[in-house]
Amino acid sequence: MARVRLANAARHMNEHSTWDVGVDIGGTFTDVVCRALDGRLHLAKIPTTRADPSRGVLHAIEHMRRAWNIEPRQIARFVHGTTVATNAVLERKGAKIGLITTQGFKDTLELGRQSRRAVYSVMLKPETPGFLAPGALRREVPERMAASGAVLVPLDEEAVRQAGRSLLAADVHAIAVVFLFSYLNPAHELRARELLLALRPDLMISLSCEVDPAFREYERTCITAFDAYLKPVIDRYLERMERDLAAHAVPAPLQIMQSRGGVACAQVARRRPVRLFLSGPAAGVIGASRVGREAGALDIISIDIGGTSADIALVHGGRPIIASEGTLDGYAVRVPMVDVNAIGAGGGSIAWLDAGGSLRVGPHSAGAEPGPACYARGGGQPTVTDASVVLGYIDPAYFAGGAVRLDPARARAAIERSIAQPLGMSVEQAALGIHRVVNANMAEGIRLVSVKRGIDPRGFALVPLGGAGPVHATALARDLGIRSIVVPRHPGVLSADGLLCAPVEHEAAKAYHRRLDEVDAPALAAQFEELDARCAALMAIEGVASAAVAVHYFADLCYVGQSYHLEVPVVLAAGVPQAIERDFYALHDRIYGHSTPGRVQFVNLRAVHQAAARELPAGFEAAAGQGAASKGVRAILTEATGGFVAARIHEREHLQPGSAIEGPAVIEQMDTTTVVDPGWRAQVHASGHIVMTWGETP
Amino acid sequence: MSPAASTASADPITSEVIRNKLEGIANEMEMTLLKSSFSPIVKEGLDTSASLFTVNAETLAQACAIPVHLATLIPAIHNMLQRFPLATMREGDAYILNDPYCGGTHLPDIALMTPVFHAGRVIALAATMTHHGDIGGYSPGSLPPGATEIYQEGLRIPPLKFRDAGEYNETLVALLRQNSRLPDSLMGDLNAQLAACNVGARRLGELATSYGAERLMAIFDDLLDRSERMTRAALRAIPNGTYRYVDTMDNDGIDLDRPLTIEVAVTVAEGSIEFDLTGTSAQVKGPMNCVPSGSQAAAYYAVRVLTDPAIPTNGGCFRPVAIKLPPGSLVNPVEPAPVNARTSTIKRIATSMVSALAQVLPQRVAAPAAGTLLVVAFGGRHDDGRRFIVGELIAGGSGAARGLDGVDVIDTDASNCMNLPAEALEMEAPLRLHRVELRRDSGGAGEYRGGLGVVREYEALADGIAFTHRGERHFSAAPGLDGGLPGASACSLIRRADGTQTTIASKLYTTLDAGDRVIVETPGGGGYGDPRRRKAIERDVADGKVSPEAARRLYGGE
Repeated sequence: MARVRLANAARHMNEHSTWDVGVDIGGTFTDVVCRALDGRLHLAKIPTTRADPSRGVLHAIEHMRRAWNIEPRQIARFVHGTTVATNAVLERKGAKIGLITTQGFKDTLELGRQSRRAVYSVMLKPETPGFLAPGALRREVPERMAASGAVLVPLDEEAVRQAGRSLLAADVHAIAVVFLFSYLNPAHELRARELLLALRPDLMISLSCEVDPAFREYERTCITAFDAYLKPVIDRYLERMERDLAAHAVPAPLQIMQSRGGVACAQVARRRPVRLFLSGPAAGVIGASRVGREAGALDIISIDIGGTSADIALVHGGRPIIASEGTLDGYAVRVPMVDVNAIGAGGGSIAWLDAGGSLRVGPHSAGAEPGPACYARGGGQPTVTDASVVLGYIDPAYFAGGAVRLDPARARAAIERSIAQPLGMSVEQAALGIHRVVNANMAEGIRLVSVKRGIDPRGFALVPLGGAGPVHATALARDLGIRSIVVPRHPGVLSADGLLCAPVEHEAAKAYHRRLDEVDAPALAAQFEELDARCAALMAIEGVASAAVAVHYFADLCYVGQSYHLEVPVVLAAGVPQAIERDFYALHDRIYGHSTPGRVQFVNLRAVHQAAARELPAGFEAAAGQGAASKGVRAILTEATGGFVAARIHEREHLQPGSAIEGPAVIEQMDTTTVVDPGWRAQVHASGHIVMTWGETP
Repeated sequence: MSPAASTASADPITSEVIRNKLEGIANEMEMTLLKSSFSPIVKEGLDTSASLFTVNAETLAQACAIPVHLATLIPAIHNMLQRFPLATMREGDAYILNDPYCGGTHLPDIALMTPVFHAGRVIALAATMTHHGDIGGYSPGSLPPGATEIYQEGLRIPPLKFRDAGEYNETLVALLRQNSRLPDSLMGDLNAQLAACNVGARRLGELATSYGAERLMAIFDDLLDRSERMTRAALRAIPNGTYRYVDTMDNDGIDLDRPLTIEVAVTVAEGSIEFDLTGTSAQVKGPMNCVPSGSQAAAYYAVRVLTDPAIPTNGGCFRPVAIKLPPGSLVNPVEPAPVNARTSTIKRIATSMVSALAQVLPQRVAAPAAGTLLVVAFGGRHDDGRRFIVGELIAGGSGAARGLDGVDVIDTDASNCMNLPAEALEMEAPLRLHRVELRRDSGGAGEYRGGLGVVREYEALADGIAFTHRGERHFSAAPGLDGGLPGASACSLIRRADGTQTTIASKLYTTLDAGDRVIVETPGGGGYGDPRRRKAIERDVADGKVSPEAARRLYGGE
């Protein structure tokens, strides 16, 4: 088992200390972070068992006991981030489900919205997830609500029973129920559940009025069907994990990271599995916002550069930006999530020459297998990582802390053969070209994500994550006019760390179609009271005292006639409709560039209840002082240096807080390499993170 | 913070960096347009585009969500430059036009262009086009279905200055406002276009500062040359020859008994391609006429479909393309022919151009899709007197190809529209949708089955609802390919409250009263290959896409 020790903590064990443990199970690695109240910190990366990712928890517990002397009974908090929901969809490994709809609408799931992604092609592929419940597993029942919520056709109860019986006979493991206008009147869906449970009391059922009580039937059907598709899978996964934790006498309840950036106990999380799609990336953004906060930056752009893609997210005023819907495998998933935007550029992106003789980078990637040419695992095509080796950014003997030995000759040969020779330039110039092109891609990606949100990136700090993030940071910042960069102390395990600083969070929403001028404060308060009751019931399951809960209200609003909306915070007080209107205009102006007084209406109301995680110290241990921070010089070539220059190489482990480094320089650590371009100054912040600032007027 | 200087003016790496920047700039312009526009058709129909042009009016980069906008600004820019030569331009100028007979498309689409200055000279052009809410004419929205002359369609704007060295042309602004039913929205959207052009100008100016204007313009030329070379190489891979395709459209909505012919001869020769529409019907009385910018958009769409998708889209891709449009025809009308409903014509031209090459490019060309968008619109008053108007654009199925079934109910070719949810429709208007379901047996039979159309059944809940039905493919069908059978034709009917039933002959304007029902069935896509070889027919029957009867009859399932 390859193990990477990232921290230098005291080995002695305190029998009475308790630990908060974050375990992020990804496709390749399981990251483990343990934090104690006294600031002690342990980190590890252990390989994920691909056949059964849930084993990662057992491996983590074994590792904690063996390497750090932490006994399972000392675990006070156990938070888990998982890709299991996402993978079940990508690999089509969800449950066989049935779908019951209003008569005349059983095909909604497959019909979708009729627009396409491949604009310049006539070889089209389906845009809707019909595979969730093909025609043979869809049933219609007579019932109908009007757009007012009034009952037009009463529910045909015998038809529901018949539909249920025939679906059970077809061996489905869960059933999704979606009736038109159920977000206005859920009575028929609720009654359908009773009828179905009477057929089989342990049947898993997802009702659209509970999963996503909002208008537009395709989006609601889609997310409700995904919910049913995942329920049996997630239920089994969490049950096994809880059993394993219990077998080791871990006293802490199992908590799961949800896509919105808050955690929930397993008992609650299994009820709504579609809230787990972005479990891992959301933890990364929460981790990045913590890093920014510790280094004094509340407005940040995080870019997590992995092997095949770069994930871009914005944190504004210390709060990650939340999107009310996203996509998964190209399908609309209307469930709130941290707004993470992926672009197809990463360390494994392949450089190639197109038929016109231009150097292109991506979107194809060498991935982890065979990986870049320098991995010497059979990959022969040049990648961004190969270019990083040729340009002197990465020490081939010290990649991933020396865990992987890179072959620089293969990197050179691949670039020489595919790029340099055909273009008649040196290998070094070709490698620099690869970086210039991929950096231009990523910078435009960041710019577009910011502009879409009405944000000028120049006022934000860049937080590069992932093993490759800090390699590109100064080049990207320069392109974007960003003058401040925060490199986290441990960028490679930030998701696991983020798990520990996320609050326990529950959210409840309801459709509310009223004009702003028809509503007063008491009417709104009554609506939110209902949402509060739903959140409070969930918090009670978590065992969180109501005094510890912070309550936030939001309203989705639009101009009458618009079909998209904006989320505005709501403070219940006298004059609340006027305050909401004012805030809506201001937000509309920021995001869309204009606002005019006009008729405004509510679309949805939302309550969010949060209980903050226990405050743990930053957990930064100053360098032990025994090693030399400087490891000599190496020649590097960047776009800013023009030619090869001697860069001083530093070992991050040995840098003291306050110590400053002027570019050109390279800072090496186990899980990443930071390139400091000329003109940039890197300083180790008291929190342990490195803050890089642009020294001159750009 | 300036990029390292290089001695070469246009090395392949700097070219690629600049290309990424140009696409980023076009996207940022488009984002600015989408976000700051007022008109719902922009925000929700994405009916807008942003482009950068060289000073020679060749496209450098373009951002658009729907192909009907592809390269559609080119004739407009040419006309503007003809009227206002570069040498006369001043910083802060903005030029405007919408006249279809001066390079426009249809009157609601207004083109706006600003020159990009650096160190006192024009180095590029930034341009946008937006579908505006109303530009006058005899019907709200400026898309009058019964128009027989362009004068009925709205205000025609020849190439004019919208701003002169930063000062608005107040005479023009007053005239525009006076002629629109939505003057504030019109001006708001024009200013959004101006803002988008300014974003383009600012960022191009920054590039010129970093790289030097001379070098930047040399790189522009290099980028166009590269895309031209790549397009020619891709076209050379197509066997030389002339490939023909003929399709029929139902009628123009005025002369209901007169079908229209679209005839295309595509000649591929040594890396060039010509689209000759000789043989296409003469221009029509109704508004389905399509001015040359539309056929050009269709041709460029076809080239992008037929060649390597990795080729960066710019004016270089269009250099090997020639288009022949017979004067006085449906595809090159003589003014004052009306043109507002040209989208359905462009769609069929685009499908025909691509389908002509089905035999020689089987890896890129599927059997024809239904290739139509049914337009239905309902207008009237609620019980409380409030007005309502709702419109829907309803797609059919796409075509099948070797190894690939067609997709059910998906917009294809030159447009890319979303449908209207039942829950949105019923909130907006006194209508009830009784069913929205896959239209069984409508996909062309084949080893790979064509995509299905959809059935939508509406009931009027109030009296006196004005109903518009603008259909296509009622009297023709999307053909199959390589032994595949055609998709079903469209079929719509009205069932009155008293039980009488009438078939809708493609296009109809009528009034609905409470209890009347409209049932529309959209066409299917063509099938591919011999149906008897289909392996998935049992699954089709189980899923309800093919009836047991059709399975036996067409697929030989017994």
